[in-house]
Amino acid sequence: MVKRAGVGFYIFLIIFVFLVMFPFIWVFLTSIKPQGEIFSSFQWFSSNMTLDNYASALETRPLLMYMLNSFVVATLTTIISIIVASFTAYAVTRLPIRFKGLILGLVLAASMFPQIAVLSPIFNFVTDAGLRNSYLGLVIPYITISLPLAIWILSTFFIKIPLALEESAKLDGATPFQTFRKIIFPLAAPGVFTTAILVFIAAWNEYLFALTINTDDRWRTIPVGISFYQSQYTVPWGDITAATVIVTIPIVVLVLLFQRRIVAGLTSGSVKE
Amino acid sequence: MKQPKKRRFQLSERQLGYAMVAPSIILIAVIIIWPIMLSAWNSLFDYRLNDPAKAERISSLSINLETYADNRYLVYDTLEDVRDAMPDAGGTLDDIITALDEQHETLLNTDEGLADRYEEVNTMLDNFQPVNDEELRLVEVPEEWADGFANTLDEQTAAVQALREGAPEEAVQPLTDLESQLSNTQGSILEPNFVGLKNYTTYLGDGRTWTAMLNTLLFTVVTVGVELAVGLAVALLINRVFIGRGLVRAAVLVPWAIPTAVAAMMWTFLFDGQSGIMAHYMAQFGLIDDPGALLSTGAGGMFSIMFADIWKTTPYMALLLLAGLQTIPRSLYEAAEVDGANKFQQFISITLPMIRSAILVAVLFRALDAFRVFDLIYVLTGGGPANSTESISVYAYKLLFEQQNFGAGSALSVIVFLSVALLSTIFIKLIGSELFSGRLKQ
Repeated sequence: MVKRAGVGFYIFLIIFVFLVMFPFIWVFLTSIKPQGEIFSSFQWFSSNMTLDNYASALETRPLLMYMLNSFVVATLTTIISIIVASFTAYAVTRLPIRFKGLILGLVLAASMFPQIAVLSPIFNFVTDAGLRNSYLGLVIPYITISLPLAIWILSTFFIKIPLALEESAKLDGATPFQTFRKIIFPLAAPGVFTTAILVFIAAWNEYLFALTINTDDRWRTIPVGISFYQSQYTVPWGDITAATVIVTIPIVVLVLLFQRRIVAGLTSGSVKE
Repeated sequence: MKQPKKRRFQLSERQLGYAMVAPSIILIAVIIIWPIMLSAWNSLFDYRLNDPAKAERISSLSINLETYADNRYLVYDTLEDVRDAMPDAGGTLDDIITALDEQHETLLNTDEGLADRYEEVNTMLDNFQPVNDEELRLVEVPEEWADGFANTLDEQTAAVQALREGAPEEAVQPLTDLESQLSNTQGSILEPNFVGLKNYTTYLGDGRTWTAMLNTLLFTVVTVGVELAVGLAVALLINRVFIGRGLVRAAVLVPWAIPTAVAAMMWTFLFDGQSGIMAHYMAQFGLIDDPGALLSTGAGGMFSIMFADIWKTTPYMALLLLAGLQTIPRSLYEAAEVDGANKFQQFISITLPMIRSAILVAVLFRALDAFRVFDLIYVLTGGGPANSTESISVYAYKLLFEQQNFGAGSALSVIVFLSVALLSTIFIKLIGSELFSGRLKQ
């Protein structure tokens, strides 16, 4: 069903992309309006654009600190999760172990559990261990939450690597672990990278645990920090729109750079090739 | 100097396999399975963090050694203050000490090793260490002792109150302190708060739980349904060669990639009754009575939440389905055309069956995600107005962390867990074999 695209098609496409992007466009345009024009004004463009909202957004709350926290937590989660998950994916796809179905079933079940059902016991653990308001208190649950996704995607990539490569490595006297480290892992690098991006985005976006475990402003991550811009009495839309633009930029850059990889990762679970 | 190469310890392939699987399994067991079991256990207690008498699970009558030792120290300290302020009350004070000491001795003799545990707790308190270890802090006590202890405390409290009548002014404050310390000492006795299934019966009989459940179901069905329909339509339309593919792909990935909380904040602004452009235009086109209706009425709130979710997720759905469409060989359509099948027949008998598994997998994961919805609602409406947009996860969260009612909150989270388990079992029955294919070494 591969058709050539006509004029009507491009018009449809432009409308579709516009609708999807509209909230971002509007939020961006609002963020560069002066305070007075935001309230009850539906003008697209302001005649006197300003960056005041950005200055104010960075001043009223430690936005850059939130971003640093999110970055550290997401990076640690990604590194550890990829190491642990690639071990499991390798063992399940390549090594002669039993109960593979059971292991994958457990992993799949773990991806389906609702976070709210484990939240209060984990909150108690983390409190007892003195890990409230720390990076580790979030990284430990995040690794576990991201494991199923990582194992699932990595195993689709590992299984595609031809067996012949391993056999020859074995003939050359490599141990199974050397085969994994020197042959499989490097060959699956694109898949590993794809998985890393998805795990990173998932950890960057997580809200429920971050909200509950790191309650001190110093340790808040971006999603939680931004939801605290609203105060009880006033809603500073200027600050909120500016903060939204600031935190969206890294995501847009990530997506623009790695869109192919992201799509490959997202679809690897659902499409048989 | 070069060491002779040692023979290194080597695992067989199979042992290595189990060793490599172990970390994941341990993490999943400790951070997911064990907490779910603990939640189920917690849900059987009247367990509230904000009530000292119920701040832990107590299966049988116990004493909290930390509270007891702490207050015992304070009581003796205050008794000396009273003695200084009221030298002529010495006899009564000695009686109080004798009565308390007697109970203390009896307590330490109720169980072997109790005296040592008490000493350990006392040492920790002297060093200003909190006693976090439940095993150390909580001790079961016999009912007779607890009754006798309560009686003694009552009698001594009465004696203290009697002393306060006609006490010199400087003794009034220490006597008042003493009374409250005695009552705090009574607080170290913890009644069992095991309530069985009472949390479940209470909350399953509560209208708010059912509203939350219905909201969650409605949200799941509507958003997944619309996302599938619109996503499929978009995927079919853009399944062709065109210029700017990468750009379109990036554009649709951005809503998916930003944090839900950030998206919710954006939509709070767009739906706002005064400054929100969506609310403004919807009111102008007569879709809603006034711009404020979106976030101040239950129906408006549900609409806002669903709309925001559909905006965020439809592009992702379209991408998944597009990937499915691209795996269909063109020859199938060519053959159908030769046989004279029209476009609709082709869609029904080629496209749909060929992307069936892609659709089912996408719907499964979306439905499970939608059923657990938390951030979007918590940030966008907070579950309001008047709890009318609360999902079951939001309600459970509020019970757990706003009311600090861990028993009831755990009961609700177990209900969410069971619902999700039921939902996934149904789906796995439908598509199980397709999920696993291609991932197991044959």
